[in-house]
Amino acid sequence: MNPARQFGTLIGLLVLCVILWILSPFFLTVSNLLNVAEQTSINAIVAVGMTFVILSGGIDLSVGSIVALAGVVLGLALRGDQPLALALFVALVAGAICGLANGMLVSLGGLPPFIVTLGTMSIARGAALLVTEGRPISGFAASFRLFATGRVGFVPAPVIATALVYLIAHLALTRTTFGRYVYAIGGNEEATRLSGVAIPFHKTMIYVVSGLTAAIAAVILTARLNSAQPIAGMMYELDAIAATVIGGTSLMGGEGTLAGTLVGALIMGVLRNGLNLLGVSSFLQQIVIGAVIVVAVLLDTMLKRKHAV
Amino acid sequence: MKNAVAVIAACAALSAACNRAPSQGAGGKPTVALVLKTLNHPFFVDMRRGAQEAADRLGVTLQVQAAEREIDVEKQMQIVENLIQTGIQALAITPSGSREIVSALVKARGARVPIIVVDTRLDSKAAADAGVRGETFVGSDNYEGGRLAGEFMVKATGGKAHVGILEGIPGHETGDSRLRGFRDAVKGSPGITIAASQPANWERDQGFNVFQNMLQAHPDIDSVFACSDLMALGALEAISAAHRTGTIKVVGFDALDDAKKAIAAGAMEASVAQFPAEMGRAAIESAVRVIHGEKLPEDIKVKLELVTRDNAK
Repeated sequence: MNPARQFGTLIGLLVLCVILWILSPFFLTVSNLLNVAEQTSINAIVAVGMTFVILSGGIDLSVGSIVALAGVVLGLALRGDQPLALALFVALVAGAICGLANGMLVSLGGLPPFIVTLGTMSIARGAALLVTEGRPISGFAASFRLFATGRVGFVPAPVIATALVYLIAHLALTRTTFGRYVYAIGGNEEATRLSGVAIPFHKTMIYVVSGLTAAIAAVILTARLNSAQPIAGMMYELDAIAATVIGGTSLMGGEGTLAGTLVGALIMGVLRNGLNLLGVSSFLQQIVIGAVIVVAVLLDTMLKRKHAV
Repeated sequence: MKNAVAVIAACAALSAACNRAPSQGAGGKPTVALVLKTLNHPFFVDMRRGAQEAADRLGVTLQVQAAEREIDVEKQMQIVENLIQTGIQALAITPSGSREIVSALVKARGARVPIIVVDTRLDSKAAADAGVRGETFVGSDNYEGGRLAGEFMVKATGGKAHVGILEGIPGHETGDSRLRGFRDAVKGSPGITIAASQPANWERDQGFNVFQNMLQAHPDIDSVFACSDLMALGALEAISAAHRTGTIKVVGFDALDDAKKAIAAGAMEASVAQFPAEMGRAAIESAVRVIHGEKLPEDIKVKLELVTRDNAK
């Protein structure tokens, strides 16, 4: 990945912040910036797994439904008076199992990721609705709610969680053989296979990572709403894909970084926040956000073509 | 640099937009925020109109925001958090989730922003646990509306019917109350049986599909209660697709224009009319009264009315 391009995404974020600072007296305050960071955390965490998947040349449409299912599993465990640690564990396991199913169907079953995760999207959503009979589960202990309302110093807990997830995932992606294989599989799967890498195993693990990060996001979302909703997380997959591609990851795979994804998620979060602060009509907001996604990827593609020449 | 350019392009659109919608009260006018469930439903569009008229009349700046989808309570929560940052003087809100939105209202209370709850009540337990209280509730009594529909159904069918019910999103206070009201009203009539009751999530296309399936499973259904008109209109199309127009009595809720037309044309029996513009007006009036330090009654009831062939225009 060309570092200058990464830099470009960051400059984009800074320019956006400066413009909002000029336009709104409410934007550049500590409380609002913390507010944006907190609001961005869920999408940013889901986008970590999405980045792994897209880097490997795949796509995961099921993350939104996994957020709902893992949240519901968490909610049921908490309402069943299970200890907090166990409840968190089963929620993460639920996410990992969904990812495992996706990964095995893609790698061993040889199915296109789009189709597999489209199926899982519906199955996980249906399962979440089925076990809750469509009703939200709510009323959790105050100790659990600390995942959303807690603060370390003045930093909200979801922001800390996001930082930890990014740190660990970044190390895994840049300092381990698994991380190198993620890029290799996305860059040239056939060549990677010929060099003796166990593709099915690594591909499966990539989708497990995606399921896991969706489940972590579910913990924060459930704490934030103080409720586990089977209809939660709808369209989160699209937000996560958007953050990833705005962050410079190529949908063709093999190229991109987590730092870029984090900046991509922040651009979306800052944009939504700023449009609210400015009182822009909610319909216009959708147009602006859509335009940013398209233009960012358009420029990315044009730049790549230029480099190729 | 490419993404920088992308963002600058977006900001051009953004700055054009914000000239039109100032974020703070011009000339020291107080700003009141109205956060709706969505703006892609005629009900909320009417509510916004009523609110805007009241705001213009009372000289306050109105900020209206809504999530893209009615069920997206997390997005609604973000909107509330963002609006608090702009120093609004009062918040009127139609909660997308009676329990979930309480977390956001805790923050509003922390910023000393008075809250007017509109149309959908807060879950009383969740609100009490969090120590959140609305200054008042502005809305129609959905339970009473459900009863009106149920009583009409008993009368229209002579107390003998196989009813199919289309519910809203499960767990939504609005739909649950309408449903309870309807069930309580028909309970006293042994000739009325509820053949099936399923959620169609407030949507027209789902109303169509769910009712079509219901008719397959229960061909003896001869009347429908839909907790909203969009679902009732969906059911009407399913009835027409099954060539059974006129043989199944449909009662809806909201009295949307399309529903009134269907009632006047005889395809539909009745609908419970709410007055969303009235709600919007009352919400903004209440907000202004709170800003002036007045104490409000716990409930501000907005009227309900049954629209039938006799009064549909």
